[in-house]
Amino acid sequence: MDDSLEVPITEHRDASLLDNSVNDEDQASDDEEGVLDWTKLLPASARPVIPKRGEKEYEPRAAGGTSLQMHILDRSRNAMFDTLRTTRSTSSKAISYGIWHPTLARTEVTVARGIHFTTMGHSAPRTSIEEGATKSQKRLELLPEEAVYLIERGTLFCWKELALDPSKRPGLTELAGSPMSVQQAYTEMLGTEDMSLEKFQVFSYLKRLGYVVTRAIPPNNFYPTPPPQLVLERTESTLKKFATQFFKFFANISRPPFANLDWWNPVWISAWPHCNKNYASIFRSLRIIPAGHSISLQPPQTTRNWKDSTPYRIFYNLYKPATPFKKSAPQHPDFQLVVVNARTTPIPTLEELTNLFNTLPETPLPGPRKKHSQSLPPLAQAQPNPSQIPVNQQTTSNLTSSLSEITNTSNRLFTKLFPWLFRSSTLPITPTTIKNVQKPNPFVALKTGKKIIIVAAVDMGNISFFRFGQGEFTEWPMM
Amino acid sequence: MSSGSRSSKTKPIPLRVANKVAYVWDVDDIATLRSMHRVCGVLTGTLPHLSQQNVFLGVPLVLMPEEVVLLVDTGVAVLINDSTAHLQPTIPQLTKWSREQQNSMRSQLAYAESKTLREGTQSGRALSEEAQRKRKEREERKKAKAREQAIIEAEEAHEADIEDANGKSSGDSDPADSEPNVYMISSTSTVTPAKAAKLRESALKGGGSLSPIPSTSSNSTPSKPSTPTPSFLSSSSQPYTIVVPASSSELEWYSPTHSSAPSFSSFASTATSTYTTLNAARAADVWTYPATLTERARCGVFRGLWEQGYFMGVGIKFGGEYLVYPGDPLRYHSHFTATVIESPVATLRPMEIVAHGRLGTATKKAHLLCGWDDVKKEVSYLSIEWAGFG
Repeated sequence: MDDSLEVPITEHRDASLLDNSVNDEDQASDDEEGVLDWTKLLPASARPVIPKRGEKEYEPRAAGGTSLQMHILDRSRNAMFDTLRTTRSTSSKAISYGIWHPTLARTEVTVARGIHFTTMGHSAPRTSIEEGATKSQKRLELLPEEAVYLIERGTLFCWKELALDPSKRPGLTELAGSPMSVQQAYTEMLGTEDMSLEKFQVFSYLKRLGYVVTRAIPPNNFYPTPPPQLVLERTESTLKKFATQFFKFFANISRPPFANLDWWNPVWISAWPHCNKNYASIFRSLRIIPAGHSISLQPPQTTRNWKDSTPYRIFYNLYKPATPFKKSAPQHPDFQLVVVNARTTPIPTLEELTNLFNTLPETPLPGPRKKHSQSLPPLAQAQPNPSQIPVNQQTTSNLTSSLSEITNTSNRLFTKLFPWLFRSSTLPITPTTIKNVQKPNPFVALKTGKKIIIVAAVDMGNISFFRFGQGEFTEWPMM
Repeated sequence: MSSGSRSSKTKPIPLRVANKVAYVWDVDDIATLRSMHRVCGVLTGTLPHLSQQNVFLGVPLVLMPEEVVLLVDTGVAVLINDSTAHLQPTIPQLTKWSREQQNSMRSQLAYAESKTLREGTQSGRALSEEAQRKRKEREERKKAKAREQAIIEAEEAHEADIEDANGKSSGDSDPADSEPNVYMISSTSTVTPAKAAKLRESALKGGGSLSPIPSTSSNSTPSKPSTPTPSFLSSSSQPYTIVVPASSSELEWYSPTHSSAPSFSSFASTATSTYTTLNAARAADVWTYPATLTERARCGVFRGLWEQGYFMGVGIKFGGEYLVYPGDPLRYHSHFTATVIESPVATLRPMEIVAHGRLGTATKKAHLLCGWDDVKKEVSYLSIEWAGFG
């Protein structure tokens, strides 16, 4: 059936033969500086010798190399250029059509075919004037990056909106505008709607891998966004934050001399039985300098407008390929992504990172290993797993993410209120529960961090992804 | 070696600039840049039909700004403001384009039909007598129908052609376009010449002749192929191939020598989108690259190493500005990672030397510190390598 399609474009057939070899390449692709062997892309019949993958030589011999070296190089080059010459041919049954509106910076999709439109495009109401009356109608629109990606794939044929409507002319009824090449799409679509080449390269890189990529900042009101995440205590006013911190600090300082100091026991040993008598609580009482990310940074000495000009702002929301994605009502993204130009952007400052993290929700800890959870006693099983605590509970309660911390704090509170209670038999139970629940590896948690941001630094098409995590050492005492 | 190398002496390579980024869209130009001028750039586009992987990428080739400066300075390439080079197509141009598309579709459908018919007769031996007889009857009927339709269509088309020619302002309506015996050739006008050659080759190999009309219907001698023509986007039930053009240079309304920009008063006399020097491009705000000392230093270092015969690549993954290759990066490993230092008196911290030495050793490269002297326009090089004691 498809044979008939391939006839005019012979490369089509070549390409389909190659899938296997490309998969092989994928696995070892990141070995060493992206050693690429384009000859592998040619069909087996055109390959005189099967070269070992990624085999490179140290250097050419003098005057451009030996004739064997020249021959191999030429073969590699020709394989590369032949592959580059492949045309974007698509069956008329599978291709979609769109019209690019430069003034709107949107591509209106007139014929939507294929799986791509389940994750791309959004509907927007547009008013059109038909027969004198204005009509508002919803239509499917693509953002510039989505349109360029689809055009480049050969999935979308795009027209550019023309002032005069060509479909009214005789002989041009099939045209919806002037036909666009991929080159024209790059030229005209990139640079609009906050889209740059770097951002587009990251977008198409991730799309090629199968991720669902959406904008984090909606370009208009009709763009579907995930429901707002509760990051309440981070967004309160700095004054209030300062006040609470100040009082906390003050209370911390004032506590030892006035509250807990016992003249008969100046070393405070007698106070130990009231606490759990473990190192964690001792360290906690010794901690008189406030720590943690809830304490705001000193405002930078320079002018305050860096927040407006910083390139470090979240640009893409990322969903793993396996996520069941609903375009009209996206869920919380799996990752959030910042795209920067590596040539012009320095490493993020502490303020910039903090600013990013303040807008992010806390990610749950990586869950414990499967076999571990099976061996847990039923008591601990009944308790919610630390990784399953809903986000809002963590954030609104102004406590820390791990359950152990919650238990500890409440324990402390209870011991203070009802000290007689904890001298009885209830005391031995708590350590065991804590022990069972608390024991996720602290290093994993510290490495992962509570909040994660991915930064993609792009230097002329060379994309490096960096992962910044915000962990908190004070929450993971080593004792 | 490559086909584009011969013409490169005379014709500069056009670099399409959009949003201060230079692209190369024609594969021949990419080949010339690589083989003749040791400029590799970075391929960044999705390869058609291999579109779900990131290992091999296709056109466009994005050039580093240093490469662009080098190529324009040496006169190898010219800059083209791509956004103004795309003109508004005229009606005759669109008509011509539309007709080419239709011709392409028709020839494809005709070819597909002839192929299926041929295959049908080849495998006919396996069919029973009964089935063969039925098939023959069907074909007879189809032929008769086609003959009728062809006559009607021929008349219609003739009328339409006359109308077309009347309606046109320019002499675009080449009557040869509507002649049936050029279908095959005109269909390939949307693909590259190399493709066309291959296509013809495969047609020959496949046993078909260059004649566009399938052999079965040739005895009915219609002036149009037997497939119904009216609409090439929707109505045909048989699938055919649509090509999304990569480069704009095939489009008739793409003209680097003209400019669609609303004429600025100062540039009204030179309404072109092509800039042969960096200064001209800078004046028009098309290309502004070496604007700061850092950028000048990078250009200077890049050129200095390039002139010594090295191939240069992006070095960000190796902690430097460039990777310096002794030969084409396709075949040879790089020897150095180069870092650009803006001035000969710039401070260099010991930690940097340690870090570079460490990283260079781990990746089997020597680290190259390149100090740019902006006054003398010279580069001095210093390489760091760990001594292999112990």
